[in-house]
Amino acid sequence: MSEATTTPREVAAAAAPMLQVQGLEAWYGESHVLHGVNLEIRQGEVVTLLGRNGAGKTSTLRAIMGLVGRRAGSIRFEGKELIAARPDRIARAGIAYCPEERGIFASLDVTENLMLPPVIAPGGLTVEEIHALFPNLKERARSQGTKLSGGEQQMLAIGRILRTGARLLLLDEPSEGLAPVIVQQIGAMIRQIKQRGFTVLLVEQNFRFAQTVADRHYVMDHGRVVDTLANADLSASTGRLQAYLGV
Amino acid sequence: MEDLLFDLQLVALGITNGAFYALLSLGLAVIFGMLNVINFAHGAQFMMGAFVAWMLLNWLGIGYWPSLILSPLIVGLIGVVMERLLIRPLYKLDHLYGLLLTFGCALVIEGLFRNYFGASGLRYSPPPGFDALDLEYGDFFMPGYRVWVLLAGTAICVATWLVIEKTKIGAYLRAAVERPQLVQAFGINVPLMMTLTYAAGVALAALAGVLAAPVYSVHPGMGANFIITVFAVVVIGGMGSILGSIVTGFLLGFVQGVTDVVYSEASQTVVFVIMAIVLLTRPAGLFGRA
Amino acid sequence: MSLDRRTLLAGAAAWGALPWRSARAQAANTIRIGVLNDQSGLYRDLSGPGSTQAVRLAVQESGITQRGINVEVIEADHQNRPDVGSTVARQWIDQQGVDVIVDVPTSSVALAVNNVVKEKNKVFINSGAATSDLTGAQCSPNTVHWTYDTYMLGKGTGGAMVRAGGNTWFFITADYAFGHALERDTTAFITAAGGRVLGSVRTPFPGTTDFSSFLQQAQRSRARVIGLANAGGDTINSIKQAAEFRITRGGTKLAGLLVFVTDVHALGLEVAQGLVLTETFYWDLNDKTRAFTNRLGAMPGNVKPSMVQAGCYAGVLHYLKAVADMGVQAAKASGAEAVNRMKAMPTSDDAFGEGTIRPDGRKLHPAYLFEVKAPSESRAPWDYYKLVATIPANEAFRPITEGQCSLVRS
Repeated sequence: MSEATTTPREVAAAAAPMLQVQGLEAWYGESHVLHGVNLEIRQGEVVTLLGRNGAGKTSTLRAIMGLVGRRAGSIRFEGKELIAARPDRIARAGIAYCPEERGIFASLDVTENLMLPPVIAPGGLTVEEIHALFPNLKERARSQGTKLSGGEQQMLAIGRILRTGARLLLLDEPSEGLAPVIVQQIGAMIRQIKQRGFTVLLVEQNFRFAQTVADRHYVMDHGRVVDTLANADLSASTGRLQAYLGV
Repeated sequence: MEDLLFDLQLVALGITNGAFYALLSLGLAVIFGMLNVINFAHGAQFMMGAFVAWMLLNWLGIGYWPSLILSPLIVGLIGVVMERLLIRPLYKLDHLYGLLLTFGCALVIEGLFRNYFGASGLRYSPPPGFDALDLEYGDFFMPGYRVWVLLAGTAICVATWLVIEKTKIGAYLRAAVERPQLVQAFGINVPLMMTLTYAAGVALAALAGVLAAPVYSVHPGMGANFIITVFAVVVIGGMGSILGSIVTGFLLGFVQGVTDVVYSEASQTVVFVIMAIVLLTRPAGLFGRA
Repeated sequence: MSLDRRTLLAGAAAWGALPWRSARAQAANTIRIGVLNDQSGLYRDLSGPGSTQAVRLAVQESGITQRGINVEVIEADHQNRPDVGSTVARQWIDQQGVDVIVDVPTSSVALAVNNVVKEKNKVFINSGAATSDLTGAQCSPNTVHWTYDTYMLGKGTGGAMVRAGGNTWFFITADYAFGHALERDTTAFITAAGGRVLGSVRTPFPGTTDFSSFLQQAQRSRARVIGLANAGGDTINSIKQAAEFRITRGGTKLAGLLVFVTDVHALGLEVAQGLVLTETFYWDLNDKTRAFTNRLGAMPGNVKPSMVQAGCYAGVLHYLKAVADMGVQAAKASGAEAVNRMKAMPTSDDAFGEGTIRPDGRKLHPAYLFEVKAPSESRAPWDYYKLVATIPANEAFRPITEGQCSLVRS
């Protein structure tokens, strides 16, 4: 992960975007939810998707993972076209997904939940490192997954995808419904994994939280990306953003 | 005293039948949990397990012990083909379609076997040596082979339960029962897992069939007779509950044994009476989650 | 489950029979024979498609088609259910012009079909069912009961067991008309011979596969003889499980009251040896039966013909003789008249030899008490029986005066 061990491939990847989404369309049954989404993320970036409810943020993450009924367009990840791939292939290519509802399994205990996603490449965090990030998970290792508090469940949901060696993490509203102190902890965690070289695509409604972790922001509306903002410009564009978000 | 021994024998016999119920309902529970399909072909697959053992013996000279492995493998492979070709297209539809399809498959399979092998049944003798397990005390007599069925059935149930509850593969299974899409998004080939799960459930039925072959005559209707009771077991235990199906299987065997002592004419009916009571008081079953 | 399945099967049976309706044009000169039996359950091998094959042989050998009379043979599955059986019978007679219904094993179904045929004034040649009520309390001017009945079985097998010292009995009885009749008729012989019946247990029919708990109740009664008042797959499983549980180790004897040659085949001589049984036809009995078996050719499932299948052959052969004698028009016009003509003519065929049909519809022929051979005594495939005794035709069946048949009083 360190600069010294950078391989030619990583250099090349750094030059081209790690993830390039072009003209992405998606349907759930008859309902057409994405209408040509374009976005790109470079290696090591933290990027958020902002937008109001129903703008297509979650659908974009799900479409990237292949979890929609039908999709079209192009999704290139590290040079590989994934538009026709099955979800498990997409995961194996190096993308990990943490859903909004967190997806903690009731029939598995905390450790089983943590160990569930298979390791797909070297470079993931060890269990000790994850326990260091989220000490609660260690204490409650034998508890049923869904017996954890909301914050602990969120930590578990993120922790388990850090193990797998996936290089791009898709996080869907990790701050949602959590106490401010927990939100801060999650923010700290995101900054920490960014330092470790992870790339993150984050869906957020809470742009104040987004501001503390992200490099760039895409704003979505009606199933399209309608604007791009650098984090540095965010304070300057608060008015514009509030118009988009309808706050 | 003499009568007590007879009573004990009837109860013990009920429990050995319970081993068959447990094995069959276990396979059904595994399949229902993972695929959401009510596998009405289970009885036919049980029957095929017995017939394949018979064919291995009479056509290829392969005996009982290898058949215990080979027959479930062969029938499991047939299960793979069934899942891929027939059942897979129905996952998106209501339960009822899977039920009707597998029910139709059961009728076709039974019909084909009946046409070829007749209805009276074929002989399949266990290898000699089970006499060593005979339990005899005065009027109490339990044939060695039934003792073996009880031991083997219990061992297989416990092993299956351990695999599901205590291993990584089991964790994948349990997780995929809850959220198949998410598990697939973790990089696990869930469609393949579904195929293999169906095959494993079918193989369990076939294994029960091989165990049953020396006890009952091997005939095309042997599964159809069993499966109605087994579905009652599944309903009582709770659809899809692994532990529920095992415990309920043995429990109902025991209850039938006791009923045989008290009033044997009711021993078939008692299962359905219990089913009705359970459905009225705990609709999700004894072990099911509401 | 069974409800759905039965309905589907009944639908399939009706659908399968549809194309025959197109043959209406030649109706007046055509005899239609419907073979109604168990095509899918535990009696399939002893009746089933083998009965149809036997009927076709009878049609061919009757030579009736050379006289310009058409014969059509159709078949259906009654699934051992009285409601299905009477529905098919009604449909056949009303919509497809069936003149004679043949076989119909399973006594409860046979009694139902018996009523339908009588009401419609057609002909019923029963071979497969056992209940002696067909020529007793429920006798019909339209019915001939050809092959065997519960009285004959009870007298043959039951009588032989009592004579051999089996004077206390316990019955394992299939819980429907046949089992009840067989138990009743056998009990009469046991008590008449000074024996006692200690108890009985009724097993659900169809659908019982495990008889071990019933066998143990029988054992507990300490009866010397366990009487199996069941048939087909039920008998096979009972005998097999009796061997497994060594029911006979304390000297208890099994009496299979209705055992067919196909059952013995399924059991194997190892298990079946020594069983005493009564039949009216055995393929290897004499030159004529062997010749008949040869002419019949390969049977479905590669079995030798059972007495039920032989009875279908002989019954249809005799019926067609009566038709040839009285003319197609008259035979079709009144089933009772056709049966009367059958009763008036002596019977003669290779399966049962010479015989007669009594006014109550009972076909008379000798019955044979066989013992199943030990494996070492069997010299060829299907060489299963040795003849113990022949019961003459006039002794094998219930005396006509004892049957309470209304046709007899006059």
